[in-house]
Amino acid sequence: MQQALNNRTGRLLYKLGLLAVIIVGGDFLLGKVLRYWYFKQESGLLYRTTYAMEVTHSDALIFGSSRANHHYHPAVMEQQLGMRTYNTGRDGNFIFYNTAVLKSILKRYTPKVILLDLDVYTFNESPENYDRLSALLPYYKTHEEIRDIVELKSPFEKIKLQSAVYPFNSLIFKIAVGNTEMNKSRKTDLNGYVALTTTYKNDIQEYNIEEKIDTQLVKSFTSFITSAKAAGSKVFVVVSPIYYQYKRSQTIGLARAICQNNRVTFWDYSRDTALQQHREWFADRAHLNDEGAQYFTKLIAEKIKQEEQQ
Amino acid sequence: MLFNSFEFLIFFPVVTLLYFLLPHRFRWLWLLASSCYFYMAFVPIYILILGFTIVVDYYAGIFIEKASGRKRKLFLVCSLVANIGVLAVFKYYNFINENISVLCQSLGVVNNIPYLSILLPIGLSFHTFQAMSYTIEVYRGNQKAERHFGIYSLYVMFYPQLVAGPIERPQNVLHQFREYHKFDYTKFIEGCKLLLWGFFMKVVVADRLSIYVDAIYNNPGEHNGTSLTIATFLFGIQIYCDFAGYSTIALGCAKVIGFELMTNFKRPYLATSPSGFWKRWHISLSTWFQDYLYIPLGGSRVKISRNCFNLFITFMVSGLWHGASWTFIIWGALNGLYLAGERLINEARKNGGILSRIQLPRVVATLITVLLISFGWIFFRANSTHDALLIMQKIFTTSGKPYLSDPSQLLFSLIGITVLFAYDLQNEFFVNKNILINNRNVVIRNVTYASIVLLILLIGVFDGGQFIYFQF
Repeated sequence: MQQALNNRTGRLLYKLGLLAVIIVGGDFLLGKVLRYWYFKQESGLLYRTTYAMEVTHSDALIFGSSRANHHYHPAVMEQQLGMRTYNTGRDGNFIFYNTAVLKSILKRYTPKVILLDLDVYTFNESPENYDRLSALLPYYKTHEEIRDIVELKSPFEKIKLQSAVYPFNSLIFKIAVGNTEMNKSRKTDLNGYVALTTTYKNDIQEYNIEEKIDTQLVKSFTSFITSAKAAGSKVFVVVSPIYYQYKRSQTIGLARAICQNNRVTFWDYSRDTALQQHREWFADRAHLNDEGAQYFTKLIAEKIKQEEQQ
Repeated sequence: MLFNSFEFLIFFPVVTLLYFLLPHRFRWLWLLASSCYFYMAFVPIYILILGFTIVVDYYAGIFIEKASGRKRKLFLVCSLVANIGVLAVFKYYNFINENISVLCQSLGVVNNIPYLSILLPIGLSFHTFQAMSYTIEVYRGNQKAERHFGIYSLYVMFYPQLVAGPIERPQNVLHQFREYHKFDYTKFIEGCKLLLWGFFMKVVVADRLSIYVDAIYNNPGEHNGTSLTIATFLFGIQIYCDFAGYSTIALGCAKVIGFELMTNFKRPYLATSPSGFWKRWHISLSTWFQDYLYIPLGGSRVKISRNCFNLFITFMVSGLWHGASWTFIIWGALNGLYLAGERLINEARKNGGILSRIQLPRVVATLITVLLISFGWIFFRANSTHDALLIMQKIFTTSGKPYLSDPSQLLFSLIGITVLFAYDLQNEFFVNKNILINNRNVVIRNVTYASIVLLILLIGVFDGGQFIYFQF
């Protein structure tokens, strides 16, 4: 009886062991392959994050989400400021992502000018802010400085990241495309900037959110501006134009106050009626198109120049 | 606690391991404590509602058994009123009030009944129905009243099926809590396979499809008929994988510790008729309504017109069970109409004529069934009846390029759907062919398990992903 039990337990342990070896081995090999191809990309969305974190040495850097990415044209900035500019903005990634990318950059060098674009409701509580930290998972292993930010994603992130495949979850096709020539012609970027070419057709409307402030996001924003300032960069926080009206934004109030406390320039264009008169400059209610971006970048660059001269 | 959460990946092995390590007399207590923890991970305070129905039904069972004549019925009615009362307050109160307001408005009267701002306790309809089946079965004399309060509580609260079924019957489950379950290697492995497959269905297929479906169904006005049609079919697969995935994980969790729960899904999209579909979809609920509503109404042993009425009413109530909204009621009624229509066609076939000579090939019958069921899903998924009507109108009147924000989403979905249907087709048509997951070769088998795990890691959706049926 005892022997039979031992045999059965032994059989189970053997099979579980075999399965574990296959899973761990498969995970290791597949993870290695994915990592190799991920960092071999030379264009596209994923590559731009790698470039921002590991390569760029531009004097002026743009940070933010899709609004930053589509609103600030580096060539216009370069022309106005005479500084090499790179746009690190990434679609759907907000302040956590920006702070992580900044940390990696500051570890390598100090940019002269840092511009952070904020959304009207950036500090609003949303699980998406944490979910989207997955954009940083491939860098967790090699970038110690961003680990505390990535670990905000969930209390178990450290354990999950023991898997070599997990950081590349849902990225296999993007990695595959990123390694082909097709990617370069698909969506070209100009020093990180991706132009939007459509024109918004709808009338201006009101869009309100009952904001519930996430203190973690506020902390991250504060950390962004204080560390950039401490490093010696000149920091500008901008709320770029939108094609909708809103009643109230706690985010803007808080961000303005934090900037004031830290002596950081804060410009709010979210209610700029002069810009909102030009519907042809918008691609949708939250994004400027290329024409709008060129105009707005010039406007901001001139203001930065004036600030610099003062 | 969600099955597809990391917390559960810790909770499950700890509960299982300690279950086997503990002496038999303490196991029920351990399972009950674990189930309480599992439930309280959502909204802790709601365990009091669960406690209330447990106490009521526990005593109702004993009193029903002891009493005779009218008193028996009285105790049963008390139990049913308590259970349905809880459901009415937490699930239907605001819906009823809303409809009263609309009625009052049309009569020019102001409705002053206040609305309640309460959250629906998770899985309320599931454990309420399971509790009701207990008192009804005791009343019918099919089940002895459970004297052990802890065991009865466990019958309602057993964590694998607590929040989304299967809705068990006391005859199937209660005795299992008293039995000694020694570690069974075969059951353990079978349970683990179910767990793995359930996770695949949920994380790889359902949650991936939900990204596309939500984008379309949450903004139906912005999309054309082509996108809405695709989203409707994909929603059919999403809800299958979401719910069957949950049930499969539930069955797996129970099986690992030696418990057998009833199968809830049997490849529903391979059914050849609407009635066949409902014999394969959410079986525990379908049989619940059959046993406690359809048959008491007269079932099929009545005139055909009355039978059609019974079917219609049963499905309409089933729709209401799913949610306090007209969309669910219409969805239920639509399925009731399908079944009544099928009943009439079958009757006509029996009586000879053209219909009796028509024999549809299986594939055609299956496709027609899928079309009918998918049409019903429009009401099930739409955020309001207005949206549902708009979607229907757009499906039939507009077309164009399908919405495609991120092609990799659809590619991942395709991979998941292909694996899913390959698995279902094998189980339907080649039951004895153990190609991959049940292959006799230990290496092939293990490589298959490992591939599923890696596929989950590679293309599964790990962010968010609530189970749709929790809201019921």
